[in-house]
Order: sequence, then structure tokens, then C-alpha cells
Amino acid sequence: MVLFPVTVPLSRPLAASGRSTLAALGSIGQASALFAGSVRALRDIGVWGPLLLPQMARVGVASVPIALFIAMFTGIVMSLQASYTLTGTIPLYFVGTMVGKTMILELGPVLTGLTLAGRVGANISAELGTMRVTEQVDALETLAYNPIAYLVVPRTLAGILMFPFVVLLAIAMGIMSGWLTALQLLDMSSPEFIKGLRLFFEPWDVWFAVVKSVSFGAVVTGIGCFCGLQTDQGAEGVGRSATRTVVVSSMIILCLDAFWAAVLL
Amino acid sequence: MERRREILVGLVVVLGIAVGVVGTIWLQGGWRGDQLMLRAASPSAGQLVAGASVKFRGVAVGRVESVAVVPSGEAVMIEMSVRPDLAIPPDAAVLVAPESFFGDWQAEIIARDEYQVHPFLEFPEEGVLPGVALPDFSRLTATADQIAGRLTTISERFEVAFTEETAMNLKNLIDNLGLISDDLSKMISQQAARFDELAVGVSESARELAGAARTARTMLENADSLLTDAGVGTMLGDAGESMRNLRTLTGDMREAMAEMRAAAQQGVTTMNRLEGLMARAESGEGLMGRLLADQELAEGVTTAVANLNTLLADIKDNPTRYLSFSIF
Repeated sequence: MVLFPVTVPLSRPLAASGRSTLAALGSIGQASALFAGSVRALRDIGVWGPLLLPQMARVGVASVPIALFIAMFTGIVMSLQASYTLTGTIPLYFVGTMVGKTMILELGPVLTGLTLAGRVGANISAELGTMRVTEQVDALETLAYNPIAYLVVPRTLAGILMFPFVVLLAIAMGIMSGWLTALQLLDMSSPEFIKGLRLFFEPWDVWFAVVKSVSFGAVVTGIGCFCGLQTDQGAEGVGRSATRTVVVSSMIILCLDAFWAAVLL
Repeated sequence: MERRREILVGLVVVLGIAVGVVGTIWLQGGWRGDQLMLRAASPSAGQLVAGASVKFRGVAVGRVESVAVVPSGEAVMIEMSVRPDLAIPPDAAVLVAPESFFGDWQAEIIARDEYQVHPFLEFPEEGVLPGVALPDFSRLTATADQIAGRLTTISERFEVAFTEETAMNLKNLIDNLGLISDDLSKMISQQAARFDELAVGVSESARELAGAARTARTMLENADSLLTDAGVGTMLGDAGESMRNLRTLTGDMREAMAEMRAAAQQGVTTMNRLEGLMARAESGEGLMGRLLADQELAEGVTTAVANLNTLLADIKDNPTRYLSFSIF
């Protein structure tokens, strides 16, 4: 302040920018440290191994109903909107093509990822944030447990392992619901829909969805763990962490979606 | 609780794997057993990709397994798997063509003699079917673009050529055509009148011809009656006699001609001899030759002849001078 007596009004936004930048860089550094710690903690299989299956059930199995629900209605809407868009010179069997391609390549993984960012990411963040503000994490460290191996690794691995299966089931549900919608509401026949479904199908499309869902699983659970462990200021901080987890996870999911499309397609 | 959790996780994992694997296989066209592999070479693949349909007589019988450019770069090798019981025609070829208007292409196995207009690529490798790819929409669009460009050029040239002056010239031309049309109309009217006169003349000529025909018919009838009359026989007999006399006369003339030919031959011979004699005389041979060649001898002979004449005259006048007649 002494150095810039004349530009006091201008120094405030500059200072705010500096603080934000430093905070962002600090967060990146902390996230990198968490990632490095997680990789190191993979050796402590005796710690995270027993916890993996319960986390897989929480992250994967418990997420299947909501994922299928969203995929089912997405398939219905896709089918109806495709028929609305394609009315005219384009044959109706392209409804199958659009439903199949869209569900496999885009809507299945991304909508499931966004949904699980809200359900799983917020859940993990709130859980770990509560443990942090109630000093349970500190207690683990006191008991010589590695909190990363105990809390982060099983959740992140569960997300990485279970997200692809949830996404595959969601894709199947979306295609099935789109198919049924085409049969019941669009006056299409099954051979027509299947012809369109198979028209431009590539096995690589499924692998593309699996790769994306793995990355989404890592992002959602990893950011949930990171935000949860960064929680402070009591219950209010827990809520902020949960919100932050959902927002950041959703943004990164969409960024990754564009990244994988640019890299793999 | 732990057991239930394990079952649920296992169920989700198995279901996810099953959905992924079975769904992929099903969307690729289902699980297929042993397949017959075919290869075809084409100058181009168009929009054909692996997984596209292979059809035979419009029925899907397999799919394209791979599409790749051959190392020499002169063709595209298309590998296809088809039903093993497919009876492929002996002159089979592969036609790569759009399956619909929306970018999906297919490879169709065809009998080559049914598509003779297409330039199939003959690849120098055994077991490779000849193939050809129809032009895709981009090429058709490019051709249409060329046509459009040429039409634009033509329209621009027409615009340049069709000025106001051209329009005026065209108007004058049309006016002139109108005048020409009027003149032609008048001329046709005049010609029509002349044609009427000509028709009248032709009609009269036809009547005269009809009269002449009637006269000729009458003459022919008379000639016919004449030919049927008995006097003709006499006339024919006389004519035969005349012919015989004429034949005799001809024979006599032939003999006279032969004699004349012999006389002429003799004349020629005589003339040849005379020419020989004259030649010898001119060369101074014989008496005549010497007389011709020797002036003195000729004068001597002349003198001798004159003396002989004098002698003969004297003998006539005075025979007793030279002759004495006595009986005993």
C-alpha cells in the first residue's frame, strides 16, 4: 500500500485476481499432491482392499437406478426429437441411427457422468468433509492410517471400475427405450429401427464410451475426495464442498467430453 | 449384508459386460459362424468402410471386413466375408455403390455380363474379383459445378453478344422475314395460277394422248387382222425366195472377191517384180540399166533403131534389092 499510494482503488481488483490465481494454483498443487499420494497409496492394498467392494456397491450399484431412469427418458426424448427433425426427405430409420449413435457416443456417458457427479461426487464430498470438520481424518492420521489409502483410493477406484458398467447399462436402457418409443409412437417397425441402429455402428464407439466413463468416474470421485478433504468451517463448509464438487466435476466432465472427442474420434 | 453387496456388485459388473459385448456383437450384425472370404480390387472405394453390407441380388449376404489401398497404390483391396453357401456366379464382379442417399455404401456381388458398361479393374492376382466404384455425390456435385460454370460462361457471352444493337438487328430481321413472307405468299399465288393453266394444258394433252392411244389401238387391230390374212403367206414365200437369191448373189460376190483378191495378189507380185527390175535397171544391170546409165549407148541404140527403120522402109520400097525369089 505504501508503494502504490495513488492507485489504491485499482489495486483491489488486481489483488483479488492475484488471490484467485494463487488459490487456483494452490488447489492445483493440492490436487496434484492428492493424486501423487493416491498413486503411492495404491501399495497399501491391505488398507483400501477391504473397502473397495463396499465403495463399488455405493458408487456403482446404488447409482444404477438413477442412471437407468435418466437414460430411459433420454432415449424416449431422443427418439421423438429425431423423428421430428428427420420428418421430410430423410428416411425414418435414421431415428435408430441417431438414438444409437447419440446414446453410445454422447448422452449415455455424459448424462450418467453428470448425474453421478451430483449423486456420488456430492456424497463423497459431504462424507469426507464431515470427517474433516469433525477431525475424524486427523484421528485416522493419529492412528497411523493413511487417510488417502483409507478414504480416497477405494472411492476413486470404485468410481473408475464401476462407472463403465453403469454407463453401459444406461446406454442399453436408452436405446431400448428409444426403440420402444419408435415402435409405439412413431409407427416404425423393429427392422427399420435396427437397420438404422446398425447403419453406422462401429465397435470403437463402445470403447469410446468406456474410455470416457472411466475418466468421468475418476474425475467425479477424485474431485469429491479432494473437495471433501479440503473442507473447513463446519457444516457450512461441508455444503460448500458438496456444491463445489458438483460444479467442478460437471465442468471437468464437459471439458473431458470435448477432449476425448477431439482426441479419439 | 456383505454377501448381498457382493452379489449386487457382481450382478452389475456381469450385466455391464454382457451389455457391452453382446450389444456390440448384435449391432455388428450378430454372431456369424464360418464365413467365405472374398477379395475384390476396385479403382476406388467411394465411401465404403469396414462393416458395410455385402449384397447379392439385393440381399445382404455378408459384410465388408476391410478396405485398404494396395501397396502399389493402383487399386483398393476390399475384403468381404459372406455366407459360405453363397453360389457366386462364375463371372462375378463387385460393384461398390451407395446404398442410400445418406452416405452409407455397399459392395454388391454381380454377374459381370449384366454390367458390361462399367470399367471393372482387373487386378493381376488370382482369386481377386474385378471391381468398380460408382461416382459418389461429391464427384457428381463437382461435375454439376463444372456444368454450372460453363452455363455461366455461356450466359455471360450471350449477355455480351445480345446488346441493344443486336436486339434492333433481330427486330429488323423479323421485319424482313415478314416482308419475305409476303413476297413468298404472292409468288405462291402466282405460281398457283400458273399451275392451274398447266393443269388445263396437261388435261388437254391427256385427252390428245387418249385419242392417239385409240388410233394406235385401231392400227394394232388392223395389223392383227392383216397378220391373220392368207396374203401374208405369199409375201413370206416371196421374201424367202428373195433371201435365197440374195444368198446366191452373196456367194457369187464372195467368189468374185476371191478372184479379185488373187488378181490383186498377182498385181502385187508383178509390182514387186517391176520394182526389182527397176532397181536393177537403176543400178545399171541388164540392157535397160546400161541404157539408163550409159548416154552414149542409148544414143547408139537410137541411131541403130533409126537406121533399122530406114532399112525397113527401103526394103518395102525396093524388095528386090534385098530379096531374090526363083523357082529352081
